[in-house]
Amino acid sequence: MGAKPHPQYKRSWKNLLLNKRYQLRFTLFMVGISAVLMAGLGVWVMKEANDATTVAKARVIGETCPKVPEVIEVPAMNEEAPVPMNIDEPAPADEPAAPKAGAKDAKKKEEPAPAPAPEEAEAPRQVKKDPQADFLTVKALWCTDAECKPEMAMPLIVKVKNCDEYVKKKLEDMMAVDALKSLSIPVIKCESGGEPYSVADAEPIHHATVQLEESSMTITPTLPTDFADRIVSHHTCEMRQASSIDSLEHGRLRILWVLAGTGLLLMAGLAVYGLKMTHKVAGPLFKVSLYFAKMRDGRLDKVYNLRKGDQLVDFYEHFKTAHAGVVQMERDDIERVKATIAAAEAAGMGDHPSIAELRTLLARKEKSVE
Amino acid sequence: MSDGNIPSATVVQGGKLDGDVPKRGDDTGKQPVYKRRLSNYMLDKRLQLRYILLVTILSGMISGSLGYLIYQQRHAASESIERDLAALTQDDQNLKDFQEQVAASMAAEDRALVYKMIGVGIGLVVILSLYLLIMTHKVAGPLYKISSYFDRMREGRLGSVSALRRGDMLQDFFGNFREMHEAVRTRMQSDVITMESAAVALRAKAGDSGSLAEALDALDKHLVQRKKQLL
Repeated sequence: MGAKPHPQYKRSWKNLLLNKRYQLRFTLFMVGISAVLMAGLGVWVMKEANDATTVAKARVIGETCPKVPEVIEVPAMNEEAPVPMNIDEPAPADEPAAPKAGAKDAKKKEEPAPAPAPEEAEAPRQVKKDPQADFLTVKALWCTDAECKPEMAMPLIVKVKNCDEYVKKKLEDMMAVDALKSLSIPVIKCESGGEPYSVADAEPIHHATVQLEESSMTITPTLPTDFADRIVSHHTCEMRQASSIDSLEHGRLRILWVLAGTGLLLMAGLAVYGLKMTHKVAGPLFKVSLYFAKMRDGRLDKVYNLRKGDQLVDFYEHFKTAHAGVVQMERDDIERVKATIAAAEAAGMGDHPSIAELRTLLARKEKSVE
Repeated sequence: MSDGNIPSATVVQGGKLDGDVPKRGDDTGKQPVYKRRLSNYMLDKRLQLRYILLVTILSGMISGSLGYLIYQQRHAASESIERDLAALTQDDQNLKDFQEQVAASMAAEDRALVYKMIGVGIGLVVILSLYLLIMTHKVAGPLYKISSYFDRMREGRLGSVSALRRGDMLQDFFGNFREMHEAVRTRMQSDVITMESAAVALRAKAGDSGSLAEALDALDKHLVQRKKQLL
């Protein structure tokens, strides 16, 4: 009886999917429901994250950075000798108070003032022609109250509230227009859209024409003492803002990836768990199917217990009793046939063809219940 | 081989005939009528409840966390509006009633949202549970039916097997069972015929006396019983 060792059944991943239709249906249903719910959760979370990121970005952009200091051309004038200006106004009243000197000065007035040395006169111009300085000037004049990035010979895109009004007002400013011309900026556009404004067509408001006569004036560019610090702090602030915006965008993307990853992990985990769970049902069914095949072929072997953790224990117990019932039927037949053969042999009819048939039947039945 | 006394193996279609859901030890010959009833849906509590609870709890957890987030967001928005309103009115005593009214309205809306979400959650759980109950019943039903046939086999009764209902799962498994059942039944019927013909031949030669006659009588009795079981 115990000659044949019972084949050891091992749980293997290959055997996990025993009843595809049943297992996949249940597992996919579970995974599908979770996917729908997780997608809803994900969409909502991303909507909130996008809103939060937008608000945070606006807050960062709203923080004002220190302005880039302007390069101011300060006329270096002789305090003692104020420059008389020919603006149809009478000469200062105190002028005659120094007749001697005044006479001398009057003579000097008639003579044209000596032209300044070329080097001295050109010095401020050279600063003006410096592209970097021009760039800074445009930034100072156009991009302190608005957002813009001037580039040589490129349209200036301006982003500011009431952009059209801002641009029109600026175009009335001679210095602002000149600054644009120095960088060869042809047009100004509002980022929000609308018609571009041509720099060439700009008509800045001209203030009272000042004619300088008989005076010498040296225009010297002067820089504030903390010019470099202010430039550095301005750009540091801009870089910090850009970094903050970048970080916020990264945070938003991180949420998206974490959500997607969590969702995928949940789906994969559920799929594996679903397969394992249904396998505990499909496993016993598979085992019972193997016994069915044996019973169909007339082999009524011993029925072994289920593995630990398997489901359908009650069902399997029913099967075992059914199997035992069929075995009992065979044994009853064996007993009856044996008794008949023995009686026939005792009556001297052992060679009867019917007894031979009964012997064949008996052999088959005995073999089936071995 | 057949002498006409043994019925041939038949497969009854439709799933509502003899022995569909037989009662144990029911020898009265009355056929119990099987009806789909709500109470019959829970055939295998352990199997069905396990799956239903797993899916329902999982869905409840996910939708619960979604609901909690929504409520939190809404509540935070309400609080923010109340704060802004207080700042706008500068806690003016004249507008205190208005502030309280707005706060009460917001709180009522928040509560309504919670009730709505609880309702939707309960609805989801109920619908999911019912759907899963029906779905698992399609597995538990065939298992229950086969268990009933197993009970009959235990008693040595190998009657006819009816097909599963439309929509039932485990059709392949049931097919294997039916094949096995029919094979065992057919073999038993064939054995009965062999034994019966042998008994007839032996009786014709041995007569009605002696130990062989007694053995043949016992065999006849056994065969009558067996035929009954195979009906």
